[in-house]
Amino acid sequence: MLGVNFNFLSLLSDMRSSRARLLELFTDVSCNPEMMKNAADSYFSLLQGFISSLDGSSQESKLRYIQNFKWTDTLQGQVPSAQQDAVFELISMGFNVALWYTKYASRLAGKENITEDEAKEVHRSLKTAAGIFKHLKESHIPKLITPAEKGRDLEARLLEAYVVQCQAEAQEVTIARAIELKHAPGLIAALAYETANFYQKADPLVPLSLPLPLCFSGSAYCYHGQTLLASDKCGEAIRSLQEAEKFYAKAEVLCKEYGETKGPGPTVRPSGHLFFRKLGSLVTNTLEKCQRENGFIYFQKIPTEAPQLELKANYGLVEPVPFEFPPTSAQWTPETLAAFDLTKRPKDDSTKPKAEDAVKPVREPDIKPQKDTGCSVA
Amino acid sequence: PAIPEGVPTDTKNKDGVLVDEFGLPQIPAS
Repeated sequence: MLGVNFNFLSLLSDMRSSRARLLELFTDVSCNPEMMKNAADSYFSLLQGFISSLDGSSQESKLRYIQNFKWTDTLQGQVPSAQQDAVFELISMGFNVALWYTKYASRLAGKENITEDEAKEVHRSLKTAAGIFKHLKESHIPKLITPAEKGRDLEARLLEAYVVQCQAEAQEVTIARAIELKHAPGLIAALAYETANFYQKADPLVPLSLPLPLCFSGSAYCYHGQTLLASDKCGEAIRSLQEAEKFYAKAEVLCKEYGETKGPGPTVRPSGHLFFRKLGSLVTNTLEKCQRENGFIYFQKIPTEAPQLELKANYGLVEPVPFEFPPTSAQWTPETLAAFDLTKRPKDDSTKPKAEDAVKPVREPDIKPQKDTGCSVA
Repeated sequence: PAIPEGVPTDTKNKDGVLVDEFGLPQIPAS
């Protein structure tokens, strides 16, 4: 009996400390993916005992509804969402782990003199985050007894927007690398075109996505123009670049509007970013070059219709890294499970959030980039 | 011809083309 009690108390203590450790790491600037994975695995493997039955069957644990969990949402102020369901805790914590990977990527991307290995880590972190969001949406959100209300973090369409946003941002890194390594303009155009489509899918649920489809469509037309020029289709190249110019101008207007928008996040001015400014001069210079060459060499007619872009990227498309929660910790045994007395759970544990339940906001590390490296992650 | 100095371990083969961790061809075909 003494042994059972000891194991039971040790399990509870480990759960408390592993949860506290994970929450602490979310705001710890020295945390890296390895530390995050270890802390997350440690907590999730213990939490699994509240969700799945120990015999490995599809039955749920008798402890699933024993505890009320409260989480605030990104856009709903400080009054939390609450559910008396361990699955809600698993998804909420998983969501925050995924968000940590996006913030880690953003912090790394803003570093001065980012190395190739760091760029790879940014890329990997975004793919990992996409994988977690995808897994939550597909495998765990459907298990919630009370689906998340509109505008809450765990709404399925919002999670889907996060998946494509992470994929698109990882592809941005790939595009930056492809430009740097001077890959074929056709490859860059196709990747930019597919990235624009990704942002289109995420829009309008993710705030910064608004000017980005236009920006990447402009980029796709610009590099497509270069491909056309390389195959001596100078007239069509000019038309493609004129289209790039139009998209760039539209994106510039939206970027300005976005920069003036007041919201809960930090102020972002996308039009001032190096990537955006570089694209503007690239479009202008390439268009001028094409016009010069058409006046001297090609004398081709400029089509009235812009070329239809139906580009397929063969390289550089990003897929989410498959994610699974760890199996139930070995600390869970039939004896520790039996030690929980379900008759003694708190009676007045209403799941309805009240104004007085408002929680104090957690201070997060500043992710302001040290330098505009041209590789910017939202 | 010179023997290539080892291929990085993080490469994969996509349709017969060696690609890097970003999924881009190892040798840019510009």
